Amino acid sequence: MSFVHSASIPVVEAREVVKDYGEGPTTFRALKGVNFHADRGEFVILSGPSGSGKTTLISILGCVLKATSGTVRVLDDVISDVAESELPKLRLAYVGFIFQGHNLIMSMTAQENVAIMLALRGWNATDAAKEAARLLSLVEIGDKLKSLPGDLSGGQRQRVSIARCIAGNPPIVLADEPTASLDAQTGQLVTELLHNLAKKRGHTVVTVTHDNRIFHFADRIVHIEDGQITQEKDSHS
Amino acid sequence: MTTSMTSTESAKTTDDSAPRMPTKAYAPASIRWRTMVTIAWRMMFHSKLKMFGTLIGVVFAVILSNQQAGTFLGLIKKNTMFVEYCGADMWIVSPSTLTLQPTKPMGISSLYTARSTKGVAWAEPLLFAGASIQLPAGGSEPIQFVGTAAPRYAGGPWNVVGGSKASLERPNTMVFEDSERERLGGLNIGSVREVNGFKIQVGAITWGLLPFGPSFAFAEYELARRMLKIDADQTHFVLIGLEPGADPEAVKAAIMARAPEVKVVGRQEFRSLIISFLLKRSPIGITFGSSTVFALIVGFVIVSLSMFSAVVDNIREFGTLKAIGATNGDLARIVVTQSITFALMGSLIGLAVITRLAAVIRSPKLAIQLPPEMLIGTTLVMVGMCVAASSLAVLRLRKVEPGMVFR
Repeated sequence: MSFVHSASIPVVEAREVVKDYGEGPTTFRALKGVNFHADRGEFVILSGPSGSGKTTLISILGCVLKATSGTVRVLDDVISDVAESELPKLRLAYVGFIFQGHNLIMSMTAQENVAIMLALRGWNATDAAKEAARLLSLVEIGDKLKSLPGDLSGGQRQRVSIARCIAGNPPIVLADEPTASLDAQTGQLVTELLHNLAKKRGHTVVTVTHDNRIFHFADRIVHIEDGQITQEKDSHS
Repeated sequence: MTTSMTSTESAKTTDDSAPRMPTKAYAPASIRWRTMVTIAWRMMFHSKLKMFGTLIGVVFAVILSNQQAGTFLGLIKKNTMFVEYCGADMWIVSPSTLTLQPTKPMGISSLYTARSTKGVAWAEPLLFAGASIQLPAGGSEPIQFVGTAAPRYAGGPWNVVGGSKASLERPNTMVFEDSERERLGGLNIGSVREVNGFKIQVGAITWGLLPFGPSFAFAEYELARRMLKIDADQTHFVLIGLEPGADPEAVKAAIMARAPEVKVVGRQEFRSLIISFLLKRSPIGITFGSSTVFALIVGFVIVSLSMFSAVVDNIREFGTLKAIGATNGDLARIVVTQSITFALMGSLIGLAVITRLAAVIRSPKLAIQLPPEMLIGTTLVMVGMCVAASSLAVLRLRKVEPGMVFR
């Protein structure tokens, strides 16, 4: 069954989200009542200076962190009401991650790194290996199936990371500075790939980045500063 | 780069590649286990230096604990070999007897009591005392002197490798142990020596009858009695053989009812007494026990630190796994798999080394006993030890925040 969700209802939505770190007088408020949403097939960029709360926001949207207060909804689930122990299940169900540092398992081949994600999502080993090979071909490193991450370039690793992220077709793709460790040309290509995930496959892609060279790919650019959304604009307008 | 994505996806987007309605359930346990086992092994074999370090810890623990426990079992065997070789089903001993060692003589009437008891097939007296043999070059060496009654020779000698047991029927003839021949002044069959002031001739040679103390030297009972100056109405022990089908407990009760001044013990009971004496009355148990425990502790510490260090080294990978949906249980499966693998590999290597070592150094003087039960037990103990040692690493993994991957 294909994922069919009305474009008018956000795939992911945060309302008045507050996140505090620490307790007592040393409490640091990273998010101060943030409202955010992203729709199906939308490519949203979160920008802002370091420490502004971008990563905290995608951590909450990605069911990695729990908000201190406010409501976070992913599809039909209000994840802000869910027990912390249930978060891994929601991450598996909803979210694919792309990390700044690729974060691949260095002892496993490109194909195995992608297959892990599928196995966690319940695929059997044979089907997972086939699907992993297909996804790696999709991101144009089908000839590197048996390569260890240490033998791949930064761009190739990030492609493995993207293939892993979309393995099992999660509706939401969250990327944290996906171009930070790449040269300009590779960064552009990786962003194009992410853009295609949204436009051609219908994933909801939220990307945190400082890299204004890729802003033109976004449907919307949301600017966060000091834990608050200060600007939100349609990049095509 | 995007060509492939574009062309492939244009066809796929409309069918099976689009995001699907998510299933909010964990994968079946069998798939999770297999995945985590694969990750565990890949991580292990990727860090070969660390793997060898951990393996050395397990191998060390296996070798040392087996060497100590095997030597201890060897000592027990040395101390119980007489009871095991001897064909007696029961022993009559003096009431103060705690183990098989030279003791004050007791009255021989219990021998006749035994012989006239229903269910007893045979009963023979046995002399068991310390003695010394004069060396040709001067000086003397102690021997464990055994007086054994002809013609049954229930009290030995056994394992005769030179000459024959029947030589004991010749006057002033004794049988000595092969492995102690050099120490006893280059003994050979026909050699003449002085034992307890008596000139005797070597009639035969045994092999492997070397207890924890001096080696056994056998003489026919009457000769032994004269040499040890034991009165004819006294003896040290009485050996009893039962008739087929006889009830040992009934025989024991019947003898003790008629000879309350002595104690009757079965073969296994006497063996247990000897082992108990070794463990409780000698430092052997403590010495070997503490060495074995020390080996296990060292192995535990090495494995524990190695596993913890491996987790710390790979903490980002564990964090990533957690971020993409692995649970604490999944991560624990990785560590437990690694610890069990280390235990099995380490046990295999360690046991191969110690069994080879035991075969090379095996002699009547030092025989490391490695019964199959101990080898299996060692492997199980190693698995338990390694799993326990990994608990620190598992606790560390529980504290891994999936959010760390964004930092």
